[in-house]
Amino acid sequence: MPARRSTALGLTLTALTLCAAAGTSLGLAAGEASAPPPAARWHVGCGVACAQPVEAEVIDPLAALPPPSEVRIPRVAIRSSLVGLDLDSKGELEAPVDYAKAGWYEQGTLPGEPGPAVIAGHVDSYRGPAVFYRLRELRPGDTVEVRRGDTWLPFRVVATGHYPKDKFPTTRVYGATPGSELRLITCGGEFDRSRRSYRDNVVVYAVDARLPEVPRTSKGHGPTEW
Amino acid sequence: MTAARPSPRALHRLAAAAGAVLIGAGLSAAIAAPAAAEAGVGYVRLAHLSPDTPPVDVYVDDLGGKMKGLKFDAVPYGVMSDYLSVPPGTYAVSMRKVGADPKSKPVLTESVTVTEGSAHTVAGTGRFAELGLSVIDDDITAPPSGEAKIRVLQASVRSPVLDIRTKGGQEVGTGLKFATTSDYRGVKPGNWTLDLTPQSGTAAEATCTLAGGTTYSLLVLDGKNGLTTDLKVDAKAGEITPQGGVETGAGGTSDGGTIALVTGLGLVALAGVVGVGAVGLRRRARRTW
Repeated sequence: MPARRSTALGLTLTALTLCAAAGTSLGLAAGEASAPPPAARWHVGCGVACAQPVEAEVIDPLAALPPPSEVRIPRVAIRSSLVGLDLDSKGELEAPVDYAKAGWYEQGTLPGEPGPAVIAGHVDSYRGPAVFYRLRELRPGDTVEVRRGDTWLPFRVVATGHYPKDKFPTTRVYGATPGSELRLITCGGEFDRSRRSYRDNVVVYAVDARLPEVPRTSKGHGPTEW
Repeated sequence: MTAARPSPRALHRLAAAAGAVLIGAGLSAAIAAPAAAEAGVGYVRLAHLSPDTPPVDVYVDDLGGKMKGLKFDAVPYGVMSDYLSVPPGTYAVSMRKVGADPKSKPVLTESVTVTEGSAHTVAGTGRFAELGLSVIDDDITAPPSGEAKIRVLQASVRSPVLDIRTKGGQEVGTGLKFATTSDYRGVKPGNWTLDLTPQSGTAAEATCTLAGGTTYSLLVLDGKNGLTTDLKVDAKAGEITPQGGVETGAGGTSDGGTIALVTGLGLVALAGVVGVGAVGLRRRARRTW
């Protein structure tokens, strides 16, 4: 036990320092919430060095980029600025008010970060085709690009899905993913005139088309030469 | 002077062609119900977690030959790559000395089988003397709501056994041995300080932010001055995920259902009329000219 060994080295009288918060005290240190007035204490565990403060924060290389502003899919001539989308009172994703514009789910994943970023657009308006009318034509291998600031982030279509809205696979579409992914959603299938709603949703699944980053620097300290 | 009139033969051809096109359009409009294509991908990432092994060149090759091979240059101890999305299949991950001939025999090679939706970390682990490539399966299912999930990849040989808990007492892992990976544990999201307490040697305190709905791997490493850490995302979803589908259509082009069928059959009928007309034209043509 480190505490006992330190005791053997000789108890160190220290003023109350950060070390008290470091944890290996003999039960003398009070809780952090009610810090006692500065006083000399018997305190062990910091004889040689206190616990080394280190960082363990996830690094997001795209953190400096603004939220997404535009989507384009050259092969099917789709290009639209992006409006922000929220959830309705039922917890379902709202569709853009403007039939000519696609939207992204603002409380979800930012495109380019790990997770499934969600972009939705109408297939048609009351009069005719809308922004995602040709989304159904997308096939694996097609490229979708999302703009953040001056950077166009490329995604590669890997699958498409066609689901009745009452059997929408919420976890598959919105669930956690290891890499940065994209979900493009519109309507499809038969139009139910009595409910003024399409029966199905068309979902296009795309993944990050960039090569994965290998960090240039390491926190580890190992040999550098063979 | 002869007027530029289309010849009867040209008229006939035109009519027949129009008929064919209409038949094609009619049929495709009536049948066009796009099939769901669900191929998907799996994920692989790479790590160098052997403290006394110099940097290595890491290669990823698709044994099925679908994907072009990849090479990552001079990956040093302590580094973990982002995820690489790959089609389901079997991949060979190989490590060679920095600058070694890509055709030379690798120092290590290991195969990893990727299925749709699976994720794996292929890491060089252990001391250099017993260096191995480990395939570590990553859990990418979301944690229960209101929780984060974390596990530890213990890659410190100078602190070969250690405990990790949050200040406040949530256990992250105990008795974690060098070159092992702990099970995932649910923890409350938030800003945490993790106490890393080795059985011998200097302790460390790691500050981190854990988000709800997210799964993490904490790398424990030998740093320049004792223990250090790095945090990686294994899988992440939005903080609040939507429920169900989206209402993204007003029906102005609703030709996917009954209307399409009617239109389709109508086009087929029209094609038939045009076709008959073409025959009639030919007959008449014979009679008149």
